[in-house]
Amino acid sequence: MSPLVYLAFGTAFGFVLSRSGAADYDVVQQMFRLQSFQLYGIIGVAVAVTAPGLWLLRRVGRTATGARLEVKPKPRHPGNLVGGAIFGIGWSLTGMCPGPIFVNVGEGKLYALAALAGALAGAALFSLLYERLVSPLRLPALEHGPGDG
Amino acid sequence: MLILHHLEPWHWAVAGAAIGAITLLLLWVTNQRLGISTGLENLCALAIHPPYLRRREIAGSQRWRLPFLAGLVLGGFLSAATSGGWAPLWDLGIFDAVIGWGPFGKLAWMFAGGCLIGFGTRMAGGCTSGHGIFGISNLERASLESTLCYLATGIATSALIYGFGAVR
Repeated sequence: MSPLVYLAFGTAFGFVLSRSGAADYDVVQQMFRLQSFQLYGIIGVAVAVTAPGLWLLRRVGRTATGARLEVKPKPRHPGNLVGGAIFGIGWSLTGMCPGPIFVNVGEGKLYALAALAGALAGAALFSLLYERLVSPLRLPALEHGPGDG
Repeated sequence: MLILHHLEPWHWAVAGAAIGAITLLLLWVTNQRLGISTGLENLCALAIHPPYLRRREIAGSQRWRLPFLAGLVLGGFLSAATSGGWAPLWDLGIFDAVIGWGPFGKLAWMFAGGCLIGFGTRMAGGCTSGHGIFGISNLERASLESTLCYLATGIATSALIYGFGAVR
């Protein structure tokens, strides 16, 4: 598949994230402070649309080009919980989860470049420490990784 | 509630349906599972090459995750450009009103938060997209558990910083 197809998917996703409020610091704070239903509603409706569609696509078992549809479930391990807890603090501090970091950079929010630099530093540190974290967090073997998404 | 250039955000049902449609189309057309945080590793792999970043998933996904991330930036740019014009911004909503740190403090705050995002999402094996939307939609227990954890600490952190009530 051409990289331009993925560029187009990313562009559409980024545009929606921008206009939905998911890439807005105040909207994210209102979500975490339980003052606004906006982002809970978005995630809820996205799941309500994706779940039955996914069930149907998996039943059909073929992609648009006729290839065998592959959905690899993520491995379950304590890192899901510990890493999730660490991520939630970062999401609250910056008002960004990974997608909106990139969207905010595109929108021209200069401080998002610092969030991006931090996210890359954090991912790099995790990459370097992976072998040492496998045993305490019971992570999958290095060649499988902690789950991709 | 107003966002970028004083726009009213899309209704949550419209935005949620659009995200669901994009997620399904990405899978149906390209056979890829929506997920953004692994892309941070794809970017790291351009510069450093520890064994972890040489695993097959990273090498095999450079050609789709990198243009997808570039698209996210482009989507944000187009959203700003078509809503009053693109301009560099320093504004940070209630952070400015309550905490009020200048540019240098804001950058340090964002860098620190970003580190937690990069380290945490990769340890968790996913973020809001891969766990929260795709994983939960696929009824994966790891995704539901991870999502509950990041929502819980996000709520606790924002409550500590700003409280649940009106802005001080």
